[in-house]
Amino acid sequence: MAEKLIIKAFGMVAEEIGQSEIWLDSVSNTQELLAILKERYPGLEGMKFSLAVDKELVSENQKIDGAREVALLPPFSGG
Amino acid sequence: MDKVRTPKNIFVQGAISPEKIATSIANHSTKTEIGGHSIFLGQVRADQKEKGEVVAIEYTAYEEMALQKAFEIREAVFAKYPLTCMHIYHSFGEVKVGEICLFVFTSSKHRKAAIEACSELVERIKAELPVWGKEILDSEEHVWKKNS
Repeated sequence: MAEKLIIKAFGMVAEEIGQSEIWLDSVSNTQELLAILKERYPGLEGMKFSLAVDKELVSENQKIDGAREVALLPPFSGG
Repeated sequence: MDKVRTPKNIFVQGAISPEKIATSIANHSTKTEIGGHSIFLGQVRADQKEKGEVVAIEYTAYEEMALQKAFEIREAVFAKYPLTCMHIYHSFGEVKVGEICLFVFTSSKHRKAAIEACSELVERIKAELPVWGKEILDSEEHVWKKNS
């Protein structure tokens, strides 16, 4: 059985979805993950954010089979 | 002999105190091969926003990724410039206006490497570390900080 995937949300994305962690059953790729999240949290639709799979930023659709965590990262604003 | 470097914690709870900065400078007096230091201090600014004036910034981070990324940046900058020392501290949690939230400190034999490395570090930290600032307003509303 596939392990559960943890979705970590930060900044304004966490604020929009009202929590900083969501557990999901296995998801095959980042495109599918985004579709699930946007259906569940329609407010994400117009938001700008990147994805990191196991702490590596992804720029296009990527497999997430076997990944442990995916982070939803709004534009960085440190410093 | 080259030291093997590993990711260090760069996060400091709350503001970075002027005393910490002074101590950090003093700690270099025994490293007598150093001829120049360069220091950047980020300070929380009282910006006027639509819904009020900024009174503090609350920082959050994707800590594990930020520390890994900070380590990569550190290694790249060490490889690019002949530096003796490099220190990076970033606040976590609340920092009030007028307080210091970022401290970047580079040292080298000659000034140029220290100055250029410090500047490059600040730019990369702001662009590449998964850190977010929530600007708290005097109206008790908040806005999410945007880096220019």
